[in-house]
Amino acid sequence: MLKLGKFLAQNATLVNLVGRQQLGAASRLYSAAPESSDSDLPIDITNPYEKDPQQCILCKHSIEPHYKNVKLLSQFQSPYTGRIYGRHITGLCKRRQEQVEQAILRAQQCLLMPGYHKDLDFLQDPKLFDPERPVRPHKY
Amino acid sequence: MPSYELALVLRQLPRPELISVIRRTAESILDKGGIIRKLENLGSRALPHKVSEHGVVHREGTHFTIAFDTAPTKIADLKEEFGRDIDIIRRYIFKVEEPEQKQCTLHEEMLPPAYRKDVQEIVAAAQKKQKKKFNYNSGLDYYPFQK
Repeated sequence: MLKLGKFLAQNATLVNLVGRQQLGAASRLYSAAPESSDSDLPIDITNPYEKDPQQCILCKHSIEPHYKNVKLLSQFQSPYTGRIYGRHITGLCKRRQEQVEQAILRAQQCLLMPGYHKDLDFLQDPKLFDPERPVRPHKY
Repeated sequence: MPSYELALVLRQLPRPELISVIRRTAESILDKGGIIRKLENLGSRALPHKVSEHGVVHREGTHFTIAFDTAPTKIADLKEEFGRDIDIIRRYIFKVEEPEQKQCTLHEEMLPPAYRKDVQEIVAAAQKKQKKKFNYNSGLDYYPFQK
């Protein structure tokens, strides 16, 4: 404790000294050349605090939905009614959602996938999203 | 010649007969001047629902796909030919398309409506349709139109 106090005291004196010196230097500079420095102008750089653009789960892992990939497609289907979840629930981008919908319709035509329920083999699959908490509110 | 993919659902058959059905379909593609690129067996399993085809109810089927190249004019003939085959429950010919490399647009879609490009276009189109309003402080001291 005593040591720490000593250390702080030393540092404080040091900082004070340095501060005084710097202050003196700055005041001198200011008095000598008040207009020549343009260091306080805004710098032209890109926003360093900008967030990375949001990506949907399929684009992030670059997964192309295909009608034979039934296990993936069934994750976008309601287990109760077999209805394809909308974009406000799945959180996909427009293009991927269209691809998923087309692939599901194809798979259903080819009898690879049921239309009125989810395949029982895939019922326990991990959930990609929560239908109870949509990205945008339901319209009904 | 564009690439196509034929998705077949075949009737539940013993193995030698299944082979003969697949050979028959493959030969009909080859006879029309097509090229077969890939044969893929997706296995046999219970169908998601019962299917009535050619007067018979099917509950089980064998899924099979054939990737092939052929002239687009021959597709209708192939469909007609596969439609007559009583061992085939479903036949669909899909065009194989190259996956296009496009950026994810989710970032722009999640913006508030006023900042979304498609919404801005709708607003601009609606404003174009609106009737022009007479500006009262335009210098005229009377209303020039019929009230």
